[in-house]
Amino acid sequence: MKRRTVLAFPAYVAAARLGGGRSSAAEARTLQVVAPWEITSLDPSRAGFIFTRLSVAETLVGAKPDGALVPQLAQSWSVAADRLTWTFRLRSSARFHDGRPVTPADVAAALERAAALPGPLRAAPIAAISPTEGAVEIRTSRPFVSLPAFLAHSSTQILSPGSFAGGETVAVIGSGPYRTTKIEPPQRVEIAGFGGYDGTPPAVAAAAYLAASRAETRVLMAEAGQADLAFTIDPASRQRLRRNPRVTLLELPIPRVVTLKVNCAHPALSDPRARRALSAAIDRPGVARAILRNESAAATQLFPPALAEWHVPDLPPLVRDLATARGLLAELGWQPGPDGVLVRDGKPFALTLRTFPDRPELPLIAAALQDQLREVGIRVSVAVGNSGDIPLGHRDGTLELALLARNFALVPDPLGTVLQDFGPDGGDWGAMGWRHQGMQRTLEALSAAFDPAERGRLRGDVARILHAELPVVPIGWYDHSLAASRRVDGVVLDPLELSYHLPALRWT
Amino acid sequence: MILRGLTAALAKRALQAVVVAVAVATIAFFALLSLPGDQAMRIAAGRYGYDIADTAAAALVRAELGLDRPLVERYLLWLADLARGDLGRSFVSGERVVGELAHLFRHTLVLAVTAFLVGCLVGLPLGWLAGLSPGGLVDRASLAAAVLARALPGFALGILLILLFSVGLGVLPAAGYGSVDALVLPALTVGVGLGGAISRVARDSTVAATTAPFFAFARLKGLSALQALLRHGVRNAAVPVIAYLGVQLAQLIEGLVIAETLFAWPGLGHAMVHAIVARDVPMVQGTALVLGLMFVALNGAVDAASLAADPRRRAAA
Amino acid sequence: MSGRRVAGAVLFGAVAAFAALGPEVVAADPARQSLADYLTPPGGAWLLGTDHLGRSLLARLAHAARLSLFLAAVCVFSAALPGTLLGILAAWAGGLVDRALSALADAVLALPGLLLVLLIASFAPGRFWPLQVGFALTLAVEFFRVVRGTSQRILAGPAVEASRLLGFGPLYIVRRHLWPDLAPLIGTLAALSAAACVLGMAALGFVGIGLRPPEADWGLMMTELFPYHAEAPWAIAQPIALLFLTVLGLLLLAGRERA
Repeated sequence: MKRRTVLAFPAYVAAARLGGGRSSAAEARTLQVVAPWEITSLDPSRAGFIFTRLSVAETLVGAKPDGALVPQLAQSWSVAADRLTWTFRLRSSARFHDGRPVTPADVAAALERAAALPGPLRAAPIAAISPTEGAVEIRTSRPFVSLPAFLAHSSTQILSPGSFAGGETVAVIGSGPYRTTKIEPPQRVEIAGFGGYDGTPPAVAAAAYLAASRAETRVLMAEAGQADLAFTIDPASRQRLRRNPRVTLLELPIPRVVTLKVNCAHPALSDPRARRALSAAIDRPGVARAILRNESAAATQLFPPALAEWHVPDLPPLVRDLATARGLLAELGWQPGPDGVLVRDGKPFALTLRTFPDRPELPLIAAALQDQLREVGIRVSVAVGNSGDIPLGHRDGTLELALLARNFALVPDPLGTVLQDFGPDGGDWGAMGWRHQGMQRTLEALSAAFDPAERGRLRGDVARILHAELPVVPIGWYDHSLAASRRVDGVVLDPLELSYHLPALRWT
Repeated sequence: MILRGLTAALAKRALQAVVVAVAVATIAFFALLSLPGDQAMRIAAGRYGYDIADTAAAALVRAELGLDRPLVERYLLWLADLARGDLGRSFVSGERVVGELAHLFRHTLVLAVTAFLVGCLVGLPLGWLAGLSPGGLVDRASLAAAVLARALPGFALGILLILLFSVGLGVLPAAGYGSVDALVLPALTVGVGLGGAISRVARDSTVAATTAPFFAFARLKGLSALQALLRHGVRNAAVPVIAYLGVQLAQLIEGLVIAETLFAWPGLGHAMVHAIVARDVPMVQGTALVLGLMFVALNGAVDAASLAADPRRRAAA
Repeated sequence: MSGRRVAGAVLFGAVAAFAALGPEVVAADPARQSLADYLTPPGGAWLLGTDHLGRSLLARLAHAARLSLFLAAVCVFSAALPGTLLGILAAWAGGLVDRALSALADAVLALPGLLLVLLIASFAPGRFWPLQVGFALTLAVEFFRVVRGTSQRILAGPAVEASRLLGFGPLYIVRRHLWPDLAPLIGTLAALSAAACVLGMAALGFVGIGLRPPEADWGLMMTELFPYHAEAPWAIAQPIALLFLTVLGLLLLAGRERA
């Protein structure tokens, strides 16, 4: 039960190593980390991921880069025969950075807090959280096999009661191998090894995190030797960094997928054939080559091969086929109008696609889709706005198309995201106006099934239904990337983005 | 005489500061709330990231911040807080706005003032030299340079500087803050464009001064062009330049946003853009307030300079 | 006309002709993509190369030229006209009128221009005109202040006093005394303002606002091509070069001659 493989990812461990012994100057050096995410808040539910990634705060459960759940603050866990009562036994020697031992009551309080705030734990069917002797007991209202994976999310990190004052988070006092020495929101955090840590002390004694929102900045910092670890490299700069002798570029597929969310209740899109026509009009290899700069990023189905348990290799790949697309549209009664735009019952086939610039490639892909759909006679206007417009349009029914990037491993088990996106009422970031009886039965069975073989079969059913119905049209699969300087050794790139694995680093 | 003019000007500015403070914050408050899009949803996206921000999260935010209370009530509450010097808490971070602004303001002020000095140091001498011999080599070269500085977007200039000084020569940090050497590139990025504009205005006003009758008279008296400019022309040439500088101060903000974003420099401009996008009303009000007051203060300095340069206006002030 | 002005007229004329005729002459569709041919260097099938989505840069530059010049003209004109007139009025009338107008100008300036632009832009997302209205508002203050400052200096001078004593009316004074000094300043400001409009669009695009694929003006083209600065420096250089030529042409046209 303890080490269930949920995702199977290739772990990329940098083996680059340059000669030269350790100097005393290297011992005193501060590791420079640069990433796009600003420290908007100290609250675990907001920018808490920064502190778990920096190994300052710990969650009960961790995950290896391949998705296998591993003990972190909980040294083991088990579920009772009723399949509802979970017991998480705590690491008894764990201490917070303020010297307090980590008690079951502290853990229960932190989890209660997380369950009350927006985050994955809120969506879990939790009935009660209670501290017991050396452990925390969590009861769910129905069998919920993914619970340990949910407790790996950064919003469930366990902080010392001293971190809070009057409901506000005033400090990040965790129990990890590093403690914060300086926090300057929104841009900088400095950390140093925590002497009271009950595990192996980290080899790199101090590190500084800088938030730099532009990819260009991070790339240049890596090129100038100013950043030891630069996270999230834009596709256009990767080729250049691969040739740079001073850095090692690490790239990995991650379970984040660019999808086209379709309003399945829209008169022009309610027939699955219309969605298949949309899908057949899209040039995924072109998008992958020109924009994502990675041939293997073209989606052939929703779940990427990296999500080995969800990817179904024998599904017919989604390919561009203009003849099929035109044929399907003609079957549905669409006829070419005078300006090339399809017309049915006097109405043109015109849609608005909403997207947002937080991920710079999204507006680019939107522009590419606009031109590709034009070729089959669908007129798309692109509205680049705020990410919040998409959930809003979903709720008020005005959304027609939306281009977004969906993370299927918000928690290490993708089932959490799948349940949110393809449940009975769809999801803000998933299906819209789409009802499918078979899908609902399968999902219900899946969230209560503990037998691995049965789970595998049900997952395959989910993938097959989504492939045939296309409530969201997959476009591309993402890569995660990191430029590491050759001065550090033992760099691990985590596709789940749970941790930067700083304790594993050594100076070369 | 000068002193009385200055006191009057400062008193005027102080009054203006209060008016600006209330006006700016009021406009920000009502404008932000009348914008399309759901405020709670935007705040949720700003807080939790868009992966987590859904309508359920937005509902929690709405309840927590009391966003469904009447507008007038919320505005009056805010005014009452402002009167006590309390700017409230950021909707996104939950931190006190005053504390966040103090950190950002320090860095923005350092960057703005340095960039402004760079602009003046580059622009003024170049403009004066060019203006003394219109059509000459300096004039032509400075024109081309100024136009290039003006046609180059800040991010392109910034990248060129980083490529040259950080990646190429390795003498300056590419980004970050906290040390003097980290200030150089962002200040140059903002300052050079500014200097280009200043040099053109300075050149034109110098030409105007040197073609005026008093200047010809001074030359007839036997003074050299430079002597005549120093003795009679500088003051006349200075007036439009100073008026122009006052405007440039306000427009500096745009350049700052680019530099702050590109160089990961903590700043008010960058924070304000984020706050507008996330509909973080207290933070928009706070940043707008500080930027407005900063402008009023710097403008007061420009006023004083202007009065010192042109004695005729002192009587009017 | 002096050589300077001729050079300016030729430069600006060339850019204006490109904007006027380019979209008609260039056969390629500026929105037509060929993803297989992204960032093709200039020469060969594509005269100026292709952008990151494999679109003809020549076609995009020509269409963007039309949009940029139009937006900049609207913006500069709507800033210069009220700014100049009110500036002269404030200098001429003095007293209460001057104080009221100056206070208004200060109030507009004290509202950070960016806030103004972003707020106006949010009311009509995906349109270009609200951005230009925002730019025009801040730029108008620039014209107002410079014109007011210069006019005050001239109006207080002996030449104007003499004209007044001789009984010449306001129109004569504006035409004979103010305008010759103001015109080159206004011309310089207008040229710089045009650049400010285009770069303003670039700055907003940089922070993710104002994008509206597939249309783009020069400023948004700069933003779009910026991520490829190392891969294709020649691509981002093209809209910058066109803006450079435009501003240089305008400044040469507006520049003051040796008396």
